[in-house]
Amino acid sequence: MAGFAGVAGLRLVLPDLPAWSGLLFGLVALVSALWFISRRFAWIMPWYYVLPAIVFLLTFTFFPVLLTIWLAFTDYAGARNGQLNVASTTAVVAADGTTLTLADPAGLACGVLRNGCVDVRADVYSFELLAVEVLGLEDAVLTLAEPLPRGRQPRQVELFLPDLGFAFSTLLAEVDGTRLTLGRAPPVEPDLESVRVQMADEVHRRIVAIDGATLQLDAPLPDGFEATAIARYNEYGFIGLANFVTILQRAQRSLIPVFAWNVSFAVLTILINTAFGVLLGVLLNNPDLRFRNLYRTLLIVPWALPNIITIQVWRGFLNEGFGIINRVLMLFDITPEPINWLGVAMAAKGAVLLVNLWLGLPFMMTAVLGALSAIPRELYEAARIDGASAWQGFWGVTAPLLRTALVPITLTGFAFNFNNFNLIFLLTDGGPPVDWGTSTARGTDILISWAYNEAFRTQGGFAYGLGSAISILIFVITVAVSLVNFRITGALKEESNT
Amino acid sequence: MIHPDRRAFVWLALVVVGTLLGVWALLGNLPEPVVRNRFVVVPNGWAFLLGAFVLLIGGTAAAAYTYGLAKRPGRAAAYALTAGTHMFIWGVILTTFYPVLYLVAVSFNRNDTLASTLPREGHLLVRAGVIPNPAEISLAQYQKVLSQTHILPFQWVLVGLLVLAVVGIVGLKLAERLAHLPAYRADAWTRLLGIGIFVLAAITVVSITPAQFYGITDAGVRVPPSSERTILLYIRNTLLVSGMTGIFAVLIATTAGYAFARMRFEGRYGTLLSFVFVQMFPGFMALVAIFWLMVRLDLLNTFTGLILAYSGGAIAFSAWIFKGYLESVSPALEESAMVDGATRWGAFWRIILPVSTPMLLFIFLLQFIGTYSEFILANTLLQGQEMWTVGMGLRNFTSGRFDTQWGALTASAVLGSIPILLIFYSFQDALTSQQTAGGVKG
Repeated sequence: MAGFAGVAGLRLVLPDLPAWSGLLFGLVALVSALWFISRRFAWIMPWYYVLPAIVFLLTFTFFPVLLTIWLAFTDYAGARNGQLNVASTTAVVAADGTTLTLADPAGLACGVLRNGCVDVRADVYSFELLAVEVLGLEDAVLTLAEPLPRGRQPRQVELFLPDLGFAFSTLLAEVDGTRLTLGRAPPVEPDLESVRVQMADEVHRRIVAIDGATLQLDAPLPDGFEATAIARYNEYGFIGLANFVTILQRAQRSLIPVFAWNVSFAVLTILINTAFGVLLGVLLNNPDLRFRNLYRTLLIVPWALPNIITIQVWRGFLNEGFGIINRVLMLFDITPEPINWLGVAMAAKGAVLLVNLWLGLPFMMTAVLGALSAIPRELYEAARIDGASAWQGFWGVTAPLLRTALVPITLTGFAFNFNNFNLIFLLTDGGPPVDWGTSTARGTDILISWAYNEAFRTQGGFAYGLGSAISILIFVITVAVSLVNFRITGALKEESNT
Repeated sequence: MIHPDRRAFVWLALVVVGTLLGVWALLGNLPEPVVRNRFVVVPNGWAFLLGAFVLLIGGTAAAAYTYGLAKRPGRAAAYALTAGTHMFIWGVILTTFYPVLYLVAVSFNRNDTLASTLPREGHLLVRAGVIPNPAEISLAQYQKVLSQTHILPFQWVLVGLLVLAVVGIVGLKLAERLAHLPAYRADAWTRLLGIGIFVLAAITVVSITPAQFYGITDAGVRVPPSSERTILLYIRNTLLVSGMTGIFAVLIATTAGYAFARMRFEGRYGTLLSFVFVQMFPGFMALVAIFWLMVRLDLLNTFTGLILAYSGGAIAFSAWIFKGYLESVSPALEESAMVDGATRWGAFWRIILPVSTPMLLFIFLLQFIGTYSEFILANTLLQGQEMWTVGMGLRNFTSGRFDTQWGALTASAVLGSIPILLIFYSFQDALTSQQTAGGVKG
């Protein structure tokens, strides 16, 4: 906060200061203030050790999370993002007090807003085309004979292209004295004799009512302001629980199947990985086995490779026509036909589980080995003296102790895989599309990739409110799983007593 | 009557010969391959393969059993089990490694796209396309992805020194084992070289700039590089971001972890809980909020912005791990220092930090590896091609074009994996044991 105030003050003196310098100023102000406070209140000392972490956590984690939760109760979307909608610029044919008459009211595109264009911010412009004398044009920089008149903002430049026979207009990127930098360079040589700069004046108003082509503003326009155009803002607003209601209404085609696959994916992948992990772990735990450290080192290679790379490579291996998985399967006649791994929902689900086994087996194997090495050898000897066979020793000693040790690991694995976005996004991209789903909830989409699709890939920009609502659901589930985990492991128990 | 030992050896020889004959008969009598759906198919090949594998395991186990009968009859079953396990494990290793080896083999192959038709000549495995044609080994793919990279002379020197340092560490390990170099000496040198590698790598990464990546046309004009040929830049970007995130997280989280472990204060439990739970929110779903924040801080499309966006989760995680570590360290050291007149901060700075350097290095590495594989935040916050990370660069191959450029993709994947592979295997024990110890976050 101090930083923003500091920057606001400093910007008056140095207008080019970048905004992030606020963080620096805030830090300096904070440190000096803290030093004084600590001399007065000794009890605050522990907080000083935690403070740097808390500052960053508040700024870059808590704050975005809170903002996201707020957005879950709004209709925020690409078409409603709070920004000025330049595309909605519509010509004004007449202005009288607070009443404007529009040439084409459809241009405002009020339909995408919740209440139409009622109680919506707008910019009213007064445009004028100014003929200017140009000395030259080079690399999208236009050099004028004299600077533009003060008072109004230059917005666009209109150049006539004699070769093509029409005018080319582009927004101005920068104005520096007589040098105008164009947003886009003209495609062909323009006629430099007839260059016109669009000068604009604008006032901020609020649209209070709209009826056909007539529109009411909240306040009259200033004297002498000739309104020529108006553009509205992409207003968004609080809509209560409507996003959650939408999710429930569409649950049949998205929430329920996605949730079911999400849970079964996490459970199945943990079951499969644990089964193979226990098998390998028990085999490698055999003290008679020579080279077992070498084997262990070799077998963890999928864990040692960055998964962002291996997952994308697997995507190629699973290609239907030339991937090696199908080539091997076909070579040994294991499947009669090549499997369309990424194109059929069931096969894609199998591919996800298969790749996750390859990726996750080293972790499980190491975890099992760690748990097994913690079992004292004396237990086995005691069992053998009591006359137990090796098989009985396994089921009587190893299995129960292993089970206790594996519960927290499988729960952690469940929580991790429940939100394993990288795997789904980079391997199958949620696909393939299925007829029981929607365009955002497809064959292998899990909750988090579905939320991502809703938020960032739906038509017309992003339905971020809806995506945020799903994220809250995911958060609740993850926290619940973790609470169970903490209760079992007692990871937080001793903390609460102190 | 034959001596029992001898008889067992006869059996052993019979089992070995029988097994080899059986495997040879199975694999030698594969049915004639046919072509089906443009795939090479050996009819019922799976039965032959499975038969050979089972025969191999069984034969090895039986051989070991007979050998055990001769040596220590009481342990013969254990011998059989162990030998069978060896064969089985090798089967698993082969299966696990096959995709990796295939990837490396393709990266050293001249063929750019494997979608081309299968070769008509060569070994059955080559004709089936399950291994790349060894006759076409070449460095063409690496030359291609590195062709627009222009490394400066002093960077070659840095790389040379890096290689020397790595060779030095390997040499030390060998000397320790073979020439009986005292362990404390080897450790001291290894530490020195390790620090050297870290510093050299950091200088190398920082010294590489986007300006070193350009193409040159036939006319000798410099043109912007193609996005498929700047993998080294993507690796440098990723290393920079991961390294800075790791350092940053360790710097900020250390004091917090210390306070949580050693101090008792009002609000400690609540703060700790919020540290644990806030990172369970699907971080990147706050993308729009983070995007909004970065636009307002003028940090969009900068590494600083991305590092700060990562910092929240990284700090919470690191503080939690460091707190757990300190709780396993006896407080006696600091207490005695404080009795001798050191302040809290003095005790932390002079005693705790030096003692926990290995742990801090480890937290850094965990963070580094985790950040290296992050995709979606980087994809949203970084926009220019010269800012891409490794993941984004590879994604460009798999979804950017209709025809996946397999050769270039695999060469890039191999190059991009090397840094993490080296780090992981250098610190294998620490990394694997800690992550499986069942912390709060795997």
